[in-house]
Amino acid sequence: MENTLQSVPQNWYLLLSSFLFCIGVMGVLFRRNAIIILMCVELMLNSVNLLLVSYSSYAGNNDGQVFVFFIMVVAAAEVAVGLALLVSIFRNIASTDIDVLSKLKW
Amino acid sequence: MNEILILMKSEWVLLLIIIIFLFIKVGSTEWKNENLLYLANILLLINFILGFVLNTDGIIFDEMFKTNSLICLEKNILNLGTLLISLQSYHWLKNHKHVAEFYMLLLSTLLGMFFMISSNNLLMFYLGLELSTIPLAALANFDLHKRQSSEAAFKLIISSALSSGLLLFGISLLYGTSGTLNLSEISQHLNGSNLQLFAFILLLAGFAFKISAVPFHLWTADVYEGSPVAVTSYLSVISKGAVLFVFVSVLYTVFKSLGIAWQNMLILLSVLTMIIGNLFAIRQNNIKRLLAYSSIAQVGFILAGISGCSQLGTTSVIYFILIYVFSNLGAFGVVSIISSTTGKETISDYKGLYKSNPFLSWTITIALFSLAGIPPTAGFFGKFFLIMSAAQNGNYLFISIAALNMVISLYYYLILVKAIFMDKNEQAIEKIHVPILPKIAMLICTAGIIIVGLYGEIYEYIFKLSFGY
Amino acid sequence: MSQTIFYILASLSIISALFVVFSKIPIYSVLWLIVCFFTIAGHYVMLNAQFMAIVHIIVYAGAIMVLFLFTVMLLNLNKESEPHKRTYLKFAAILSAGVLFLTLLAAFKSTNLTPYQLPEVNEVGYIQNVGIKLFTDYLLPFEISSILFLSAMIGAVVLAKKEK
Repeated sequence: MENTLQSVPQNWYLLLSSFLFCIGVMGVLFRRNAIIILMCVELMLNSVNLLLVSYSSYAGNNDGQVFVFFIMVVAAAEVAVGLALLVSIFRNIASTDIDVLSKLKW
Repeated sequence: MNEILILMKSEWVLLLIIIIFLFIKVGSTEWKNENLLYLANILLLINFILGFVLNTDGIIFDEMFKTNSLICLEKNILNLGTLLISLQSYHWLKNHKHVAEFYMLLLSTLLGMFFMISSNNLLMFYLGLELSTIPLAALANFDLHKRQSSEAAFKLIISSALSSGLLLFGISLLYGTSGTLNLSEISQHLNGSNLQLFAFILLLAGFAFKISAVPFHLWTADVYEGSPVAVTSYLSVISKGAVLFVFVSVLYTVFKSLGIAWQNMLILLSVLTMIIGNLFAIRQNNIKRLLAYSSIAQVGFILAGISGCSQLGTTSVIYFILIYVFSNLGAFGVVSIISSTTGKETISDYKGLYKSNPFLSWTITIALFSLAGIPPTAGFFGKFFLIMSAAQNGNYLFISIAALNMVISLYYYLILVKAIFMDKNEQAIEKIHVPILPKIAMLICTAGIIIVGLYGEIYEYIFKLSFGY
Repeated sequence: MSQTIFYILASLSIISALFVVFSKIPIYSVLWLIVCFFTIAGHYVMLNAQFMAIVHIIVYAGAIMVLFLFTVMLLNLNKESEPHKRTYLKFAAILSAGVLFLTLLAAFKSTNLTPYQLPEVNEVGYIQNVGIKLFTDYLLPFEISSILFLSAMIGAVVLAKKEK
């Protein structure tokens, strides 16, 4: 698909990824469920990844793609610790009632 | 090869200590907690001493990693703070099940901060930042059976993930508009277009989250209150200090050409941070929350110093952070020992502390005086230089707001001092036996508060090393 | 042709992202997020970054989302009840995200992006080129990421292990 770079202007990728980023930010502010907030953060990171890959493909230097590789690494570590924390919270409150997480006031 | 060994020596030493603890943990022999703690403190002391030898300048790994005397000095300050925190947390860790893990996580965050300070590349900066926050979230949960502690940790990881998301979007826009990740090349490609300005604002927001400047401070008080005291002091001194070091160098060297834009933003952030931090500190009842808001207000003063845009600005920020390490850790050391022996954390519990524990009372009083900036202590000189740096722009309204805030902050620090010395209390805290290691840490803090202020050479030494605008 | 594919993929990713945010039930959110990740991988293929596309599927859909699914199942989080946020807060969230997007849009509009000189054959995304870059210029970050994983692993084990 060599001609994608010629026929799709780069601005479209800019717009798409900033729209996805804004949806992610909205999700973090909008939802209260802890696990969904974590997912929205993943969405934000993915929009950044898309932006970096598009920049690096259009400019023809692959620093951006290597950066994306490291963002994935960090996201995996972050999710591992975050979900372990969720398990720990649920062990401490000894219930599965989701309302308890509302104590996490913003 | 030799060059890599010498230039990255502080990182190698830390990595070695982490690996030692890893082998102790997976090894078959069970170590007693006391021995493990003594070993840890000795290793950290060696690490601190080694920070003073073999300091050379250089850039290695394709301009990824840079080091010079100033960076070594900053690393030494962080090393000192970590050593003090480790000494202070002796009493808390003595009965903890996961001492080796505590040190592994703590030192890996410190390693992350070192890489972040030495970074000359946006990727290195980002990785260092994440290495210094992700294990910290696990550390905040180290009171494993307390619900508050887990909630604090979760709040910390969500807010840090959000802030690094903002930071990353800024970084990617910066990469897109300049075509490189190398910090020194980016500074040549800045043209002040709107997209780059926006990228800069996103970066600024990410930084402001990490140092808890005001519109982005909402996580601070809850996290500080819920975490164990050792982790709270680490968060408020070491991790904040490291981010501030990087913040100053990024602003002064990389974004120099956007100077006019960020100077006004910094002044606005600084005023908001000082006022809101102080006003909220007044109404707190829990001492950890009080110290949290007071540390927010201190960040306001530091931002005021940064807005000066001169060599004086750099110097005053580094000097103030050195003083802040001593004074905040002095206060937190006392809070730590009282909280881990009696579990009392409210201000009314501290009434009449002087009757039973004169040593602890004097330590915390001197530390609070230094935080408030009362003359013979070092805190006064630190704030004096910060405000002098801010005054270079001739914005006298800003200076008078800062001075007014020093008076407000005096009020709540003195209320605490009054409670300790004058108020009577039926159920005052009983006499606490302070173990030898925390006692040494408190004495170092007190000595530091007095000496750093009176011994002018230190300031001149930092001034000689630091970079101008 | 590729414009049409772009439109389809972009609308799919936006719709699935919106479903992630607005689904009532957590497990639906997880599944929609997986759909979103697959569309983003499609974008990577379009952008000639095949290696990134494969790694993206393996890491995100294969590892991270499975972790999410496990947590939702294990903790029995899959309930519809969620503490209600006040309506004005929800409104404020939508408003602030909208303002953020508008600001970004304005910044894009007023900045003239330099058109890139596109090479005839774009090879930056090939595995060989990314690999060479990763193990020469970016060797130090690669090593640091191993420390990051070590500490994340230690942290996760300490937190999630059952006390005896």
